[in-house]
Amino acid sequence: MTELLRAEHLTRHFKIGGVTSRRSLHAVDDVSFSIGEREIVALAGESGSGKSTIARVLARVYKPTSGEVYFEGKPLSAIRSRRDGLRYSSLVPMVFQDPFASINPVFRVQHGILRILKLHRPELPAKQRQQEAARVFGVVGLGTDMLQRFPYELSGGQRQRVGFAQALAMRPKLILADEPVSMLDVSIRIGLLNLMVKLRDEEGVSVLYITHDIASARYVADRLIVMYAGQIAESGPIEDVLTTPKHPYTQLLLSAVPDPQAPLSQVVDRGEPPKVVDPVPGCRFRWRCPLAIDTCAQVTPVLAELRAGHEVACHVAQTGADVRAFAS
Amino acid sequence: MSEPHEILEVSGLSVDYVLPQGEIRAVDDVSFTVDRGEFLGIVGESGCGKSTLLFAVAQLLAPPAQLAAGTVKFKGTNLVGLTDRQLSAIRWCDLSVVMQSAMNALNPVKSIGAQFKDALQAHGKPSKQEIATRSAEVMRMVGIDPVHLKSYPHQLSGGMRQRSMIAMAMLFTPDLVIMDEPTSALDVVAQRALMVQIKELQQTYGFAVIFVTHDMSLISHFSDRLMVMYAGQIDELGATRTIFDRPLHPYTQGLLEAFPSIHGPRVPLRGIPGNPPDLAAIPAGCRFHPRCPHAVERCAVIAPDLYPVDGDLVRCLRRQDGSLPDDPGARVAKAGA
Repeated sequence: MTELLRAEHLTRHFKIGGVTSRRSLHAVDDVSFSIGEREIVALAGESGSGKSTIARVLARVYKPTSGEVYFEGKPLSAIRSRRDGLRYSSLVPMVFQDPFASINPVFRVQHGILRILKLHRPELPAKQRQQEAARVFGVVGLGTDMLQRFPYELSGGQRQRVGFAQALAMRPKLILADEPVSMLDVSIRIGLLNLMVKLRDEEGVSVLYITHDIASARYVADRLIVMYAGQIAESGPIEDVLTTPKHPYTQLLLSAVPDPQAPLSQVVDRGEPPKVVDPVPGCRFRWRCPLAIDTCAQVTPVLAELRAGHEVACHVAQTGADVRAFAS
Repeated sequence: MSEPHEILEVSGLSVDYVLPQGEIRAVDDVSFTVDRGEFLGIVGESGCGKSTLLFAVAQLLAPPAQLAAGTVKFKGTNLVGLTDRQLSAIRWCDLSVVMQSAMNALNPVKSIGAQFKDALQAHGKPSKQEIATRSAEVMRMVGIDPVHLKSYPHQLSGGMRQRSMIAMAMLFTPDLVIMDEPTSALDVVAQRALMVQIKELQQTYGFAVIFVTHDMSLISHFSDRLMVMYAGQIDELGATRTIFDRPLHPYTQGLLEAFPSIHGPRVPLRGIPGNPPDLAAIPAGCRFHPRCPHAVERCAVIAPDLYPVDGDLVRCLRRQDGSLPDDPGARVAKAGA
């Protein structure tokens, strides 16, 4: 698979407290991963684990504190001109979580799409812009009559499809989808997930699917990255990670997923994710981990490949031990 | 198992939202009972009237919502028509409510302990000592260190806030606790821990729970009976396990099939086509027929009642006369488990 985007040692800290404060919140700490062409990568983790910060760094909303992102081999820090910036944001657009807040309510739905086309594809004459808007609406499963509607006339699922249509109008290579279905009703979600699969298969678009819902990640994604407290705990081909999770946190996460068809797992964990303010070295999961050893309190574990493409940041798993912290 | 006698009996409950453009019926002729110590789950999508129903049961409706018809009998007393003074004697002591968002339901400028004290003093004249003892007790019940009684809501994590809301609901060990999506703002691990906690408390203290959620799979292991709502009506009501194993209403089947699983083969799912109806323009006949894969002509004309089928109640014409084919999709999902 050709590599599309690569993040290397990506770090983003936020200064917190008053003007004189030196405390910093480590939202994302030394994170490296890559996204291939025509690939859906799911980024999972609990709230505050740094998922959205990664998306915003990739969308160039935040500059990384350190580390670099390479898109098609070129570093993002080399983007200086407005033209290069526009080009990048048309190749890597974002779809937002809240479809009720992300579309301008006072304009017809077509307004957003036509503006995008005017800005990012200025070579198209007006008539072709209309045709292109109709085409992308067709791809995401909306009728052309929807173009003339106002956002309030659309349901949540339809609005989120408009979000994907807007992204698609830019002829993207990679869509950053930040919790695109979490605000939608259960019966509508599957349709959007199916749409992401269709975009990958038919339009050749990669998707970074940010979610806290592992089951929906499994439904669409090729690869899974599990984050904990700003770092990657485990990553790999999704079936591999889900059938043989190696990191205790992944195991905990999987044991907590409600599944009506499986018996209730007996795992109970009342721990809480740490606040990553000026962290000390060591594994950030060690307070909740039943398997923690002395090394975990001293050395921050780094990702190491245990099987083909399956990487884990856990001292215990890296010794080759059979990690069974939480049975799912 | 639950004891045979009912603690709550809701019959023919309807709620209207009175708006300038007309009245919208959000809850339409809903009847159900809750037994002592029972866990009743209510599921449905946004706008199906599940929260409005809870508010009506707890007599918390505020304009533009108003009760149009029906009675709510709690321990033999009809709550409808009681004065505020009469209601407040019952509320908190016998019946408490845990709201969806703890961040909005807790007072941000008062410590948790001060809010507990308010509730305790509203229902008696407890001594300082009694307040301290009881507050610490309920905090321990939900697994929070009583030192957090001094904490303000913003100092607690989302999970702890939600748990202290539940602790507050437990102050008088009520007979019925009504919960409106108490876990929806939490991540899966915290969600799971909270559900286990609620179930443990319920088994220890024997109160009944009405639990409203949009996530069916969440309560699959916790609720005794399940009520599925669609467009303001009950679509299906029955034992939780039976509904998961053999959903009778096409909408329930669709909902169950809309959840991908982390186990079994990866099968393409269909979800439910279309959108939930606008309550201002409810379809004639069966309210689900425009989205129903099994709809026939009469579904668009005849509004179905709740029919008893195999011990459950189902609002489906074709299920009642036995003409509905068994849905193969549900079988596939089961075989995959």
